Amino acid sequence: MLAAALLDLSLLPVLANAQGNYEIQVYGSELVPPQNLMVELHSNYTVEGQTQTLDGVYPTQHQEHETVELTEGLTDWSEVGFYIFTSEQDGHGVQWVGDHIRPRVSVPQSWGWPVGVSVSTEIGFQRTAYSPDTWTWEIRPIIDKSIGRWYLAVNPALERTLHGPDVHQGWGFAPALKVGYDFTQGVSGGIEYYADYGPLNNIPPLHEQQQQLFLVTDLNVSPLWELNIGVGVGATRSTDHLIVKCILGRRFDWGRHSAVD
Amino acid sequence: MISRRDFLERSALIALAGRFPSGAQAEVTPDYTLEIADTTLELSPRHRLRTTVYNGAAPGPVLRFREGRAVTIEVTNRTERAEIVHWHGLFLPTDVDGAMEEGTPMIPPRGTARLTFTPRPAGFRWYHTHTSAMQDLTRAQYGGQHGFLLIEPSADPGRYDREFFLALHDWSGYLAANEDGAMNPSYAVSTINGKVLGAGEPLRVKPSERVLLHVLNSSPTEVHWVALAGHALQVIALDGNAVPTPQTVPMLRLAPGERVCARVQMNNPGVWILGEVRKHVHAAGMGIVVEYAGASGTPRWQQPSKLLWSYEPFAEQHPASEPPPEATPIPLLIESRFRGHGSMEAWLINGKSYPDTSVTPLESGRRYRLQFINRSTDDHPLHLHRHSFEVRTVGAAIGSPFAPETALRGLKKDVVLVDARTQTEVEFVADNPGATLMHCHQQNHMDLGFMLLLRYA
Repeated sequence: MLAAALLDLSLLPVLANAQGNYEIQVYGSELVPPQNLMVELHSNYTVEGQTQTLDGVYPTQHQEHETVELTEGLTDWSEVGFYIFTSEQDGHGVQWVGDHIRPRVSVPQSWGWPVGVSVSTEIGFQRTAYSPDTWTWEIRPIIDKSIGRWYLAVNPALERTLHGPDVHQGWGFAPALKVGYDFTQGVSGGIEYYADYGPLNNIPPLHEQQQQLFLVTDLNVSPLWELNIGVGVGATRSTDHLIVKCILGRRFDWGRHSAVD
Repeated sequence: MISRRDFLERSALIALAGRFPSGAQAEVTPDYTLEIADTTLELSPRHRLRTTVYNGAAPGPVLRFREGRAVTIEVTNRTERAEIVHWHGLFLPTDVDGAMEEGTPMIPPRGTARLTFTPRPAGFRWYHTHTSAMQDLTRAQYGGQHGFLLIEPSADPGRYDREFFLALHDWSGYLAANEDGAMNPSYAVSTINGKVLGAGEPLRVKPSERVLLHVLNSSPTEVHWVALAGHALQVIALDGNAVPTPQTVPMLRLAPGERVCARVQMNNPGVWILGEVRKHVHAAGMGIVVEYAGASGTPRWQQPSKLLWSYEPFAEQHPASEPPPEATPIPLLIESRFRGHGSMEAWLINGKSYPDTSVTPLESGRRYRLQFINRSTDDHPLHLHRHSFEVRTVGAAIGSPFAPETALRGLKKDVVLVDARTQTEVEFVADNPGATLMHCHQQNHMDLGFMLLLRYA
């Protein structure tokens, strides 16, 4: 997906020039319950990023990305998500960037596995002005575990281009990781790590990879709401250097439930 | 690392060495024997699990005692863990009540104990393990150590042609996040008398019979609602104590540890289902077939649309007797303590967790009013050992002053469900000296501090 990392599309010089930063999130294994719709707005602003137009791709510097994510719970083991990516930037106005769809399945909690396990697959289109690779596909395993106040999630994602300059590069490795700690029932803090190591069959040198670290806080103010705020720094030359992100989510239960359901 | 409760269990075990010297009671021939041992239960052809039970089955055998007549029970522990049997609802001395916190000795691994006591009061009671489970959702009440106990009175509580004992239980627990952000046990399988709906023998009845159901909720943590499709249920006793005002109701609600005795007039021949009213628990297996003689076909279920239950209608409706004497209030503020989204919550009574909880010692013969002020977001089935209490107010707003003129009368119980963010008050007479445990009957709550030891002065 453009999903869990800003790194899903490539900024790498060795690859086609593209932009990410539409959805910056490490996924947990928990699904949206059936007959529930989760509406999330991902707001990401690149404070310090790429300043040049490369291969017709707009610079990321001072881009504001607003992504609407709609996730519908299907069963207690499946959900499907849909993304609308937009970008706002001086001189370019507000632009539609693309759409993705993301089915996901998860191991039911009733199986009693010691860790949460889920797998999502995401396929979608983005305009060439924002990514030369217009069609991409991602497979994202999700493993997470809560232990007391600590939370750990790992997303070792694999992604590839279906249409675009990188179509022959095969699968790329774009892992994401989160370590969180509950300070109180309502306030958690942690670190999120996003990376794109590039094609598995030709991993580029470190400075051409994308490596980014976010300091984040999650506010658990209500079972119906979610709020994640973070500041991220890029650690390599090929990564946007400073990004501010915010995820605001609201869950809507549209099912007709009675006390006996 | 061991919990404080585990530590106490081990301490009680050490104390046991001097309490049950080998052969000290060997001359007494036991009236009953209970064997605690691991076994494989078949809840259905698709659900088998390894657990600990009494006498090879869950629920264990129905024990029938005569009120006031001494009984001796030999309990053999075939497991590698110390065990203890609590005789729930009986007015017993502390050394046999079955709570190590009160001083009852643990039965050591591979050990045997002979317990002699005089059972009272009459009514539907039960017995179960009183050990801790902590994070292990297969041990203690998460397992199969529960059984029925009927203390027969000099006269039957009501006429009936046939009686059935039914235990509601949940199995294969796992921790899942609940809406308040902490972990809570959920269950993959739910049963009546250890069988998933359709897997066990039906309850066989005849037209026009009057059937008496003794229903027990032995679930480690879950409240259950049950109904018998096509029939109404006349509740005649709660927690084994006859209610002042029997009521005919469409369904029963039982919190963990609660019992309901209900008569059913079998006047609707067919094949029916007695089962959990909530769909997901029903689907998890909590049901049993009720089959009239000569009837056949697919068992029928009629899905209720609401959950209906209240304690109030069973109390005296027009109290004519003298009101009970003034009771000394004991405020008990119930709160939880967040320990992380990956943990179950800890529990506090007046700001402290067991074993640091305490209140002023009781004076023998005095009447007390326990004020359960539940500020948490969970409902709690609160149980008082070795005594029964009279329910006076239920589900009141927190801070409501006690109004004796409108308080409930005559409803005697030993477990009361206190709804989240409400206040419930019960009164009891301190007439059974000795350490007396009060606790939430949810296994995970009592394991994590929700206990209070009342002491006599």
